[in-house]
Amino acid sequence: MIHKYNLVIVFLFSLFGAQAQEKQNKFKESFKASLVVTSDFSYEFKKEGLQKSEIILKPEFSYRLNRNSKFVLKGQLYTELNDDLEKGVPKENTVSDFSKRLFIGDRTNLELREFYFYTSIKSKLRLTIGKQQIVWGETDGLKLLDVVNPQNFREFILDDFEDSRIPLWSLKAEFDIKNIGIQFVWIPDNTYHITQDFDAPYFAKSLFQSPPEGVTTVFNKTKKPKRFIADSDIGVKLSTFTKGWDISLNYFYYYDDLPVFYNELLVTETDDLVLTINPKFKRQHLLGGTFNKVFGSSTFRGEIAYIFNQNFTSTAPVATLGIETSNQFKSAIGIDYIKGENIISAQLFSDIVTDSVSLYNRDKFETNTSLKISRDMMNDNLNAEILWVHNANHGDGYIKPQVSYWMNTNTQLFLGSSIFYGNETKLFGQFKDRSRISLGMRWGV
Amino acid sequence: MKTKLIIGLLAIGFLFPAKNNAQSLPSGKSIADKTHARDEGVSMSRTLTMELKDKRGKVRIRETTSLRKYFDKEKRLAIFYLTPKSVMGTAFLTYDYPDPSIDDDQWLYMPALRKTRRISAANRGDYFLGTDLTYEDIKLETRISRDDYNYKTIGKELINGHESYVLEATPINDDIAKELGYSKVKLWVDANIWMLRKADSWDVAGNHLKTTEIKDIKQVQGIWTYHQIFVKNHKTNHETIFRISDIDYQTEINDDTFTKEALVNGI
Repeated sequence: MIHKYNLVIVFLFSLFGAQAQEKQNKFKESFKASLVVTSDFSYEFKKEGLQKSEIILKPEFSYRLNRNSKFVLKGQLYTELNDDLEKGVPKENTVSDFSKRLFIGDRTNLELREFYFYTSIKSKLRLTIGKQQIVWGETDGLKLLDVVNPQNFREFILDDFEDSRIPLWSLKAEFDIKNIGIQFVWIPDNTYHITQDFDAPYFAKSLFQSPPEGVTTVFNKTKKPKRFIADSDIGVKLSTFTKGWDISLNYFYYYDDLPVFYNELLVTETDDLVLTINPKFKRQHLLGGTFNKVFGSSTFRGEIAYIFNQNFTSTAPVATLGIETSNQFKSAIGIDYIKGENIISAQLFSDIVTDSVSLYNRDKFETNTSLKISRDMMNDNLNAEILWVHNANHGDGYIKPQVSYWMNTNTQLFLGSSIFYGNETKLFGQFKDRSRISLGMRWGV
Repeated sequence: MKTKLIIGLLAIGFLFPAKNNAQSLPSGKSIADKTHARDEGVSMSRTLTMELKDKRGKVRIRETTSLRKYFDKEKRLAIFYLTPKSVMGTAFLTYDYPDPSIDDDQWLYMPALRKTRRISAANRGDYFLGTDLTYEDIKLETRISRDDYNYKTIGKELINGHESYVLEATPINDDIAKELGYSKVKLWVDANIWMLRKADSWDVAGNHLKTTEIKDIKQVQGIWTYHQIFVKNHKTNHETIFRISDIDYQTEINDDTFTKEALVNGI
């Protein structure tokens, strides 16, 4: 009798054991975890010292519920050993409460970079809900349509966009009607660009008019949209692939990620002149599109963006609160030529302010160019590339050469430099004292 | 009389040996056609691991999930990088059209940029993602080209104990030779399952360039499938081993896996 019970118990245990093992195996199959560690140490020539001493840990977890659905979580532990780029604990006034970083002292912060649920419903509708990055556009280096997510400008545009782009709580729905892919985005997260303080290495002084001599400046708190629904951004992208052409049409109704710096010169009771700056985020519409097609060894690509009611800082004394409004047309055409292990990529950017307005520190029609030459060597072990971005109107720009080398399967080393040149009142030239040489490493497991 | 007949037959045999030999060996074109007629299933998913070893012995490993599906005669292939983790999410999509005069369409998704970049497929002789196989080699997948070469079937040999036809292939013209990067290729094609078992290739200058060996060929779900490709580049002494596992021809793959959007969303 006891023997029979023993057999039953052994059978039940083995059954539960098998079930537990099966569950464990299923979990192992569904759950994926990884960690990427990057470091970047940059030496500034002018300062003769470190400009950046960054170590980033990027853990990533995904859990697949079934063939069609998954959760993805990407975290980040960011440490800047010398606290050079974003000094102290930034106020993050332009960031919503849900997207703020958690600072541990001045040098370290934790951030939930992405946390979303992805599902494909009967292969007809694909939904991505949660904190994520949504990227539009075809261009490299300078952005036209890539305005869905804001950016942290702690390194101007030198940081990888993957790191500087700020993920937002949003919904992305994708479905097809015949051969047209439709993407709808809804972004209730009221987070905008993180710009830098006056004492930061990458404070963009070219955006601000200097106050007249002897005038005190009062910088008021930025007025930020707060309403969950009414202040959310929405966008639609239609895309298709036909006769070798990749084409997209984009529309975005959004708050410009940079506030409008309304300013007013006032006389106080003591007859002192005070310049009051009242930054406020303003809504605008963007209509644009992209295209690309391959011709032989070359890919021809382009991007256009037409922005309605863009606000500009004005030099006209009659401008209301120092601001004038105009529509703006931006375009870019590029060509990527691939031959063997070599890639040559050239882009021409045009930016036209359509109305007659008196613009501060920019021309009505601006042209930027970029050239990137890249070569893979030793079976992609070694890569050397150089990027040159140049503004044709003002003669300023930057050059970024870089060499990267895979030491082994998981470790890649980088050695590069970023050299700004040109008039120091202009967009790129203002950072010519920030030119630097960088050594970095990327390791993943 | 009997002796005269034997002598006569022998004489005919000596006089026309080449003709007799040629009759017993199939033409290169027919072998090429047979490699293309091989059953590959409609769809396939697999884990593809690429082991890259340089002349100093340093090894780098790239692990991918590779998905392939036929849409009528058009073949679509998507490759998603799983490791190294720092480039995880990199994905590659190809539309391979049945008309050989139409270039493939290719896209590469780069997670660091979060952008899908259209890339030219015109350079068939370029090396595939740092390996020792070219894009064209990868595309053919142990079949042999029907259009690029003039073939000569030169005999039969045993490769790993398997009877194989030996073919000498020369590009149909200099332009094709430059495009492919080969001036001559020697091929060993399995005479029973019509799968390439070995290839030797010479560069456009006539130097011995590469040896490719297809190994561990066995049936998976009724379809002849290779599980390893070894390639040695004799000029650089670089080697690549492609290891194929978790092969599945039966689980249906959604059509929308082979879109630009799917590259972004990953697997």
